[in-house]
Order: sequence, then C-alpha cells, then structure tokens
Amino acid sequence: MTRGYRSPDPAAVSTGVEASEAAGRFVGQSVKRVEDRRLVAGYGQYVDDVRLPGMLHAAFLRSDLARARVRRLDTTAAAGLDGVVAVLTAEDLNHYVDSLRSSVNPPDLAIVPGHVLAPGDVRFVGDPVALVVAEDRYLAEDALELIDIDYEPLAPVVDYEQAAGSPHLVHPELGTNLGASGSGPDPGLARVFESAHLVVTETFHQQRQCNMPMETRGLVAHWQRHAGRLDLWASTQSPHELAFTAARVLQIGEHQVRVHMGDVGGAFGQKVYSGRDEMAVLLAARDLGRAVKWIEDRRENLMASNSARVDRLTVTMAVDADGRILGAEIDHLSDSGAYPLGGAPAKSAQLVSMFPGPYRIPRLGWSTATVFTNTVGRGAYRGPWQMETVGREMMIDLAAQRLGMDPLDFRRRNVIERAELPHTTATGRVYEQISPAETLEQAAEMIGYHSFRAEQAEARARGRLLGLGLSLFIEPTSMGRGALGAEGAVVRVEPDGTVTVSMGTGAHGQSLETTIAQVVADELGVEMERVILRQGDGTPYGFGTGGSRSAVIAGGAARAAASEVRARIGRIAAHLLEAAPEDVIVDRGSAFVAGTPARQVSVAEVADAAYRRPESLPEGVPEGLEHTARYRAPEVTHSNAAHACICEIDSGTGVVRILKYVVSEDCGNMVNPMIVEGQIAGGVVQGVGGALYEWAPYDADGNPRATTLLDYVMPTAAEVPILEHGHVVTPSDTPGGHKGVGEGGAIGAPACVVNAVNDALGPLGIRLSRQPLTPDTIISAIAEAESR
Amino acid sequence: MLAEYGDEAKPLAGGQSLVPMLAMRLARFDHLIDLNNLGELTGVEHTGDGLRIGAMTRQATIGADPLVASHAPLLAMATTHIGHFQIRNRGTVGGSLAHADPAAEYPAVAAALGAKLEVASVRGTRLMEAADFFEGAFATSLDGDELVVAARFPTWDDPSGFAFEEVARREGDFALVGAAVGVGMDTAGIIRRASIAMLGVGGAPVRCTEAETALLGCMAVGGDLDEADIGRLALAGSEPTDDIHASSSYRRRVGAVIVARAVAAAARRAVESSREGCDV
Amino acid sequence: MSDRDRGHPEVSVSVNGAPRRAVLEARRTLADFLREECLTTSVHLGCEHGVCGACTVLLDGIAVRSCLLFAVQAQGAEVTTVEGLAGPDGSLNPVQQAFRDCHGLQCGFCTPGFIVSVTAFLAENPEPTLDEIRSALSGNLCRCTGYQGIIAAVQQAAAQTLKREVLEP
Repeated sequence: MTRGYRSPDPAAVSTGVEASEAAGRFVGQSVKRVEDRRLVAGYGQYVDDVRLPGMLHAAFLRSDLARARVRRLDTTAAAGLDGVVAVLTAEDLNHYVDSLRSSVNPPDLAIVPGHVLAPGDVRFVGDPVALVVAEDRYLAEDALELIDIDYEPLAPVVDYEQAAGSPHLVHPELGTNLGASGSGPDPGLARVFESAHLVVTETFHQQRQCNMPMETRGLVAHWQRHAGRLDLWASTQSPHELAFTAARVLQIGEHQVRVHMGDVGGAFGQKVYSGRDEMAVLLAARDLGRAVKWIEDRRENLMASNSARVDRLTVTMAVDADGRILGAEIDHLSDSGAYPLGGAPAKSAQLVSMFPGPYRIPRLGWSTATVFTNTVGRGAYRGPWQMETVGREMMIDLAAQRLGMDPLDFRRRNVIERAELPHTTATGRVYEQISPAETLEQAAEMIGYHSFRAEQAEARARGRLLGLGLSLFIEPTSMGRGALGAEGAVVRVEPDGTVTVSMGTGAHGQSLETTIAQVVADELGVEMERVILRQGDGTPYGFGTGGSRSAVIAGGAARAAASEVRARIGRIAAHLLEAAPEDVIVDRGSAFVAGTPARQVSVAEVADAAYRRPESLPEGVPEGLEHTARYRAPEVTHSNAAHACICEIDSGTGVVRILKYVVSEDCGNMVNPMIVEGQIAGGVVQGVGGALYEWAPYDADGNPRATTLLDYVMPTAAEVPILEHGHVVTPSDTPGGHKGVGEGGAIGAPACVVNAVNDALGPLGIRLSRQPLTPDTIISAIAEAESR
Repeated sequence: MLAEYGDEAKPLAGGQSLVPMLAMRLARFDHLIDLNNLGELTGVEHTGDGLRIGAMTRQATIGADPLVASHAPLLAMATTHIGHFQIRNRGTVGGSLAHADPAAEYPAVAAALGAKLEVASVRGTRLMEAADFFEGAFATSLDGDELVVAARFPTWDDPSGFAFEEVARREGDFALVGAAVGVGMDTAGIIRRASIAMLGVGGAPVRCTEAETALLGCMAVGGDLDEADIGRLALAGSEPTDDIHASSSYRRRVGAVIVARAVAAAARRAVESSREGCDV
Repeated sequence: MSDRDRGHPEVSVSVNGAPRRAVLEARRTLADFLREECLTTSVHLGCEHGVCGACTVLLDGIAVRSCLLFAVQAQGAEVTTVEGLAGPDGSLNPVQQAFRDCHGLQCGFCTPGFIVSVTAFLAENPEPTLDEIRSALSGNLCRCTGYQGIIAAVQQAAAQTLKREVLEP
C-alpha cells in the first residue's frame, strides 16, 4: 500500500545503523491492522458503549454568556423532576479541588484557578455551571431546562490581542490577564539588522481551531463503596494521567483507581489531561456511589472542550544579498482562553526553540506571552507549537519574493546539509540524524517543481491562478523528559505461549495494537497474532499516547522487555534441547538449534516448562516467563519533512482547490509504512483544514459562532487532495532506529497551503498572512487589490 | 390535526432540518405529525403542462426520476447540490419548500420556474404561486393549519435551457450563494423568456427581474449577451446576508459571478436543445 | 410506572434480521433505540445533528442518518447496521475487507457509518469514478485518515464486487 517514493539512495542517508537491525518479519512491513477486525465489524467498544447496572447519566448546564455574575441559581425544580438524582453546583463540588494541575504540571495549569464548576461568575460561553445526574440522558437534559438561572452580564475580554491591556479581568483572582511571558533578546541582532541587505517583518495569524475527534469526550465513573475503589471507563489518551487526576481529586491512592481502556475515537491532544468537566463527574460519582456516565455532545465539544492555535507571530528576518539568513527576531502571542489545559506557556517555549527549523539561522531573539480571555481554554492539538513553522515558512517565501529569488532556491541556500551535522541551532537544539536537504529535493522532484513553473507561466498568461507552496520543518518527537520521559512494558509469555504486552499507552487511532505486536513478535521470534497489547488498568505507569512518542518510547520499552524474555526463552530452550544458549534460534514460535532445525521446541512448550514444570528449568533461570522494563528516551528525537503542494484558485469565487500534495518525510526506520503514511495523511488534512476551512470564531460579545459541524467546517473526502508520500530513512540512535511521526503532517501543511495560495495570487499583488484562507478572505483580498 | 393543535404541532417530513433543531433543543413542539406514511403525498406525475410532485417525494427520487430530468431539468440539476445522498434519501420536496431555508436549493428552483404549491387544510385546498409562498428566512405564508401537499413545476417550451450554479464551503453544504436560471429562446436563438432566482442572498429566494428583463431580446450565444453584466445587474442593490461563512460583500460580488456562469450555461444548453430539436 | 403505562408507542422493527420490539417515548431517536435497546453499538453518535454520518444505517436498504429519525418512524422496517454486513461465519463484506486492506480507518469511530454508506452507494453505483466516490463520501466525516485510505478502499471494493459479479454471475 506504500505509494510514491522510497529513498532514492538509501546508502546516502545511512548513518551506520545496520539495515538488518531494523528490518524484521513484521517490523518494517505494512502489516494490516490488528484493531480493524473488530472495528470494521462494528464491535469496537467506545466509552458510550459501556453499560453498568444502575448507571446514571450526567449533563452540564453551561453558561450562555461569556462573562457574567450569577445573580440567581435555583435548582429546585430541576431536582424535583422525576428521575433526577442530583443537581450539583459549585457549592457542592468546588471545595474538593484546589487546582487543575496535572502530573506534568505546566505553568498555566498551576496558576489557573481550580474551579470545578463556575463559582458565582461565568468566564466563557460553555462554562459549566451545574451538573444534573438523572436516570437517563433525555431526562437529564429536560432537567437542565428547569434550572432557574439569572445573570448580570459583564463586559467580556474576547480579543486576545487586546486582553493584556483590558480593564476587565478573566480571572479576578489573578489580578491580570497576562498568563505568562518571557523573552530572550539577542543584543547582537541590532547590528545584524542594521547592516543586512534586507530586513523583512511580517505578522502572521492563526485562527481558533478545534481538535474535533469524531468521538467527543466521555467518562463513566463508578465508585465501588464496598471495595473503596473507583472504576473508570474513559475516552482518554492517557489512562495513567486520568488515574492521577482521579486520585488527586478524590484524595484516594492511585491504587484505588482502575482505568479501563476501550477503543478511543480520536483525540489529537484533546484527551491527554482531565479538566473541570471530568473532575465534576468523578466527584458526582463518588458522592452518589453509583456509576455515572457523561458523554459530551458535539455542541459542547465545539464550545467547551479545549481548542487551539490562536496564535500571532511577528517575524523579522535579516538576509544578505545572496539570500542567506543572517538572523531573526520573533514575537509570539497566544490566547489561553479562560481555562487552558496542557500548557500554553510550555508550548511557547517549544515554539521558540523550534523556530530555526531546518535552516541555518545564526541568531534568534524572541519574546512570548500568553493571555487569558473569556473564551474556551486552549489545549494541545497535534503539533501545538506549529506556529513556528507557519511563521518561518511563510516568512521565507516573503523574503525570497522581496529578494526576487525562487523560494526553492532560497531554501536550498539555507537548509542544513548532511555534512554539517551535528548542527546546533541558535536556540541550542542539537540535530544529528536529520535529512532536511534530502527531503526538500525529494519533494521538489515529486511535485515536478521545474516543469510546474513552466506550466504556471502558461496558465497565468491565460488568467488562471496556479500556485506552488513548500514547507520544511523539524519535528521534535518522543521527548525524554519529566513524566513523558519514559514508558514501561510488561512482556509476559502466557503458559500456552501466547504473549501479553502491558503498557501505559492510550492508543486512539495510532494502531499500537499492531505496531507493538510487530515489535514484540520480531523481538521474541513468535507470530504476530500470538501477541496482544493490553492498556489501561494494571499496566505499568506511562504518560500515554501523544507527543509523537509511542514508536520510540513505548516501542523502546516493549523491545527492552521482550529482549529479556527472548533471552530467557533461549536459555530454557537450550536446556530442554541440551544445546548451548548461544546456538538457539527462536523464530516463528519455535526454538531450534542453529543448523539442525529438527531439534526444536515450541515457545508454548518453553512457557509450559516455565510455569508448570519449574523442575525442568535450568539453574539460575527464574520461574515464569515475563519481564518488566522501562525505557528512557533520549532528550528528543528529531524527525523532519518537506511538504509541497499545487493549488488552483477560482478567481470568481475564491475557492481554492489543491491539485497535488506530496510529503517527503524522514521518521527513521518505519515500524509499519502503511501506518506512517496514514498518520501523515491525517495530519496533512487537518493542516489543510486549518489553512482553508476550519475556524471557530467568537463574536464581539464572546459568543462562539461555530457550534455545529455545519459551521465548524472540516474537510470531507470531496475537498482533500490525494497525497503522494516519499520517504528518506535516516535511523535515529534509539533501539530500532525509529522516530516519531504523529504530528508532522499537521505541522507542515498549513504553511505549505498558504504559500501555494500566495504564489497563485502573486500576479494580483496579494499576499495573505491570516488564516483561514476562506473564499471570502480571498475574494475580499482580490477586491481590495483591484481597488488599489 | 394541524387544525386541532395549531402552533403546538409541526408536520414532520424528511426531518433532515427539523430534527437537528429539536435535538439541539432549539425548537420544541408538543406534537409532531409524521407525514412519512402518507403514500398519497408521494410521486411524480406528468400533468400536461408540467409535473406535479407530491410533497413527501424524496429528493433522491426526484434526482433519479426520468420525468423530472426531461420536464423539469432545473429541479434535477439542483437536487445533486442538496446535502449528501443519505440526506436526499429522507429529505422531501415539500419539506424543503415549507422549511424555506434561504440557502436551500428547491425554493430557488420553485421561484425560477414559477412553480405553484398545493396547500391543503380542513378548509380545503388552494394553489399558491411560489412568489407569494415565500415570505422570508424560514417564513412562508402558510397558515398554521395548512400543509403543502404537492408542488407543480411547469415545463418550459423548447428551445430552453437551464442551469443551477452554487458555491459552498464543502460539497453538500448549504450554498454561500447560488443561482437557478432558465432561458427560453425563439427559433432564431433570441432569448424570449428568462428567469433568474438566487439563493443565499436574502431572506427568501430572490427573483432578479431587472436582469431577467435585460436578457430578453439578446442572442443566447455568440451575440450581444454580456453575462457578467447580467450578473452585476442581478445583484445590484441587493443586501445579502452576512454570516460566519461569507460576508455580504462576498455574496454580492460572487453572486454576480455565479449568475453570469449560470446564465452562460443555461443559454448554451438552450442552444443545444434547439439543435437536438433540429436533429429529430 | 412502566413506559407502557405512560402511553408510549410501541415499535417493532427487524434489526440485522432479528425482530425487535420496544415500547418507548416517541422522542427517542432511531440511533438511541439501536444503541440502547438493540445493543447495536456500532451506531455511533458523532454530532446528533445529521452532519457527521457516523450513525448511518440502512433503512429498508436505504442509507439514512439514524440520529435524524425517531425510532417510531422505523416501525415495520428492516434496519441494517454494520454488525449485519458480515457473513454468518464472520467473513467481512468486500467494503469491510477493503477498509482493512487500505488502512481506511484509524480510531474507527466514523468507520461503521462509512461502511454502511459505501455499501449502499456501491449497490447503486457499482462502477463509480473517482469524483463520484469522493462526492459520495462527502456525507461522512473522518478526522484521522485524511480520507486517503477510505477513497482507496472504495475503489478496491468496487473493483472486487465487480470482479465477483463477473466470476459468479
């Protein structure tokens, strides 16, 4: 199923890691997914499919004003409705929780007030005010309509660019709307800017976007009074993070929390942390002593689940007459909304750190700030720092244009070459196993760069608006720090020879049941279908799935545990076969003596011996056949990619059509190329959505204007380009040589598409810097250009 | 039943617009009267001067009906723009007309073709001109106890041509702006009849009478017809709606482009139809 | 007080070939009925306002949004969900198989709606063009795949169905 290119010359991009080490019977192959058997048959088990005896249903009353004091809140009528079990407000729940902090504890989570429900005032449209728990969901919603609430409206803070100076405070407790700020001036930059051939400044804006997983958030919480135990079923990326939150909020031990992982219908960063809504449901379940199910509806998801990408980035770049970048200065402002989750300040630091990207940018000065507004909180969304790529890649096109230079040539002049590695950026990042120059060339070749320029000239002569965009980036993956730094795995060969791998991951579409089975099956020498992945309750602590970390970190842990088990299988088999352990090969579920395959014993027989015939084990080999390992990742593992696309604009309607889209990416050795390409494609289309379609704006009063899927416009199959994939393989120095790849598509696509649109609009003298490029945006720009 | 319950009741046709409003609790009725089992409200029937289409006829049926394709081609063209095939499987012509969404396709087609609506109540049945039926956004001149039971779409004499053009954010979305156009010619190729109805620009499907008049007497193809001019004329003085998907000025400017494209296509088809007529 | 006592209507339908009967409030959607009463939980609710397509089922063979129908409106009908598409031996239908072969799903939440829609679409149009496929898919939203594998899956399923019809007329 792998389409498009392979590395034109693998030897040219080898770093010395032996190819044979990476390729296996399963690893490196486009193996079909294990998950699909149940999912295509309709037997997936998502959180809303969980049914428990006596289960109650919860629904939130949410504020319909952006900022207001609650004058009256009377829940009597709602509580009196037949079938309603409880109506809970801030008075009932807020005293349990002091802050929204998570185990990662990014700074904003520490400072945002920890109000579970709105504490006498509401701070955004969607702010949870009360929680109704009833015998069924219809009744719960009926009861919401009976809650008598009266507000005194207050002037809201809606525009993040004005928030810092606003006299109105989103969180009065904090005394300021400024969430966090920082700067790293480079005193030498002033002289560079003075003497440079050209200095270009531009401000780029990204708009509010929603993660929009097809499955909304949801949670079933069951406090088992008899056992003093909380059982949870959740749509989560991070079962252990949920356990952490539940234990903290309920003031119980983490050993009293069992998180059952079923299927999760997408998340893209939205389901890493547990926020106020989840806390309210947990507390309600504990207080009621019954199972409580809360399934967010789509309007809530669009208005009250974290959104993302509200960024302003001003870039000033100095270049010499030959098109070499001499230095840059960036100023970043982001909108944290009212109750952010997941660390906008931390992402600002990441943004600054990644700004140099794949180019030689010798100097960088920076400043960042994030502000609170009366809008929904900011959260993580696939490549949360990707504004650096948006700003840098659009600035590069702008600088090239000002120099009269072709944007591909400009990039070639500045891109880091293999011979320069390791390369340390102006922000202190060290690149070792990357290949930006190679991916740039591969993408240019795949898109047909030079023939396109001829075609474009011809099309322009006939009045057609055709454009090509490029975008390069480095993707920091698999962060090896803090709570995210390591993962654990238990690899257990069961007595019948089947294999259970227990991990703290929270797969929600990444295909870990397949890829972890590939890794472990190869490592153990067994068939893949004999290996299953278990997540959630009873697994070793891990941060879960996100941050493009599973291939490297989870894969590393699985590999480490399996490797030890494989050694034990070898020793036991050698003993049973009366051979030397170093002569025993384990393959396809059998252990045999090298050279005499007839002398063999199955892994099942080895397992049987390990558990049921301990007397048959060799001395020094422990009983049983399982091992727990943790894998600590390097500080960071860098992937890289080049995107290129061609678009055509209908000058009459402003509609942009992407005609061709190629991605050349280097994520090291691929565990499963089909899955890698699936991850890239999904990210690219989200990025295309962000560039052209998706937008969740607020009006001046702070009312969200996109609360249905008719108004929140994500692309369908009719709008998307058919992607072509190219691969350059530069193995990382982690076991297996893998790198993360989950976020890259969404990081590279917006700038690529916007650059293509600007290239198409070039003849009209138009250059857009504010997403999304809707038909309206484009037509108003054309109208304005005509009137100039 | 409508007579009995008045405003507390709402007839439920395909439900593709009404049910979402109920699900989001944006609308509420004590009684929903399901019309889906009323077989007598379905079917496409040739009446000599046009088609009579039962109100509960599904959009999918209309889109696939050979009578519609030959006698009301504009209706067939518009149908492909309605939502998605799953929506058209349930959505009905009567529901779409009575819902009167300003961005919906069928009201514009009804306005362009000069359709008549059969409206029934316990008091009897009356025939209403489309122009009188639509009053504004989601507003019709139906009385509370009345129900649309059928729509009559007149067939235009040959040679004539039609076009339906719209621009939407995505395939299947409501139009930002769109136009339904009919052009009738004499045998010399001169436009003698013209109809332009726009959707997405105002509270109700808008007939562009000035632009229609300007079309009369033009050669359909290869003569003095300036489509761009017709488009501008169609939108002159209009104050289209402003929403999250497009501004009023977008709708005005692009509406003119859409009208121009539709007029050109309709005129071309009119000429083609006259050629086909000669072949026979 | 039981539901029946409240004077609620009774609905009887066939779901994947099995008769189902229930007394329920008239306001219950078909989707909720299928999920809650019939336990055909492949019917996923992604928006409950008729846009995402995750709840698509076949009603007498026609693809419809089950969130936009009331259960009582299905009275007497045959409802098919994705659970009913596989063979009695569990073998996947060509569309299900193609989704797996072509990596047409990741999280799987939208998948039942896509598979039901595509099954109905290919029954009507067994030899679709690429543009027809893209258009037919536009009534179902997917957030994971970028639709690449889904489009490829429809192409494969169309080709396979055609081949099978030729081989086994």
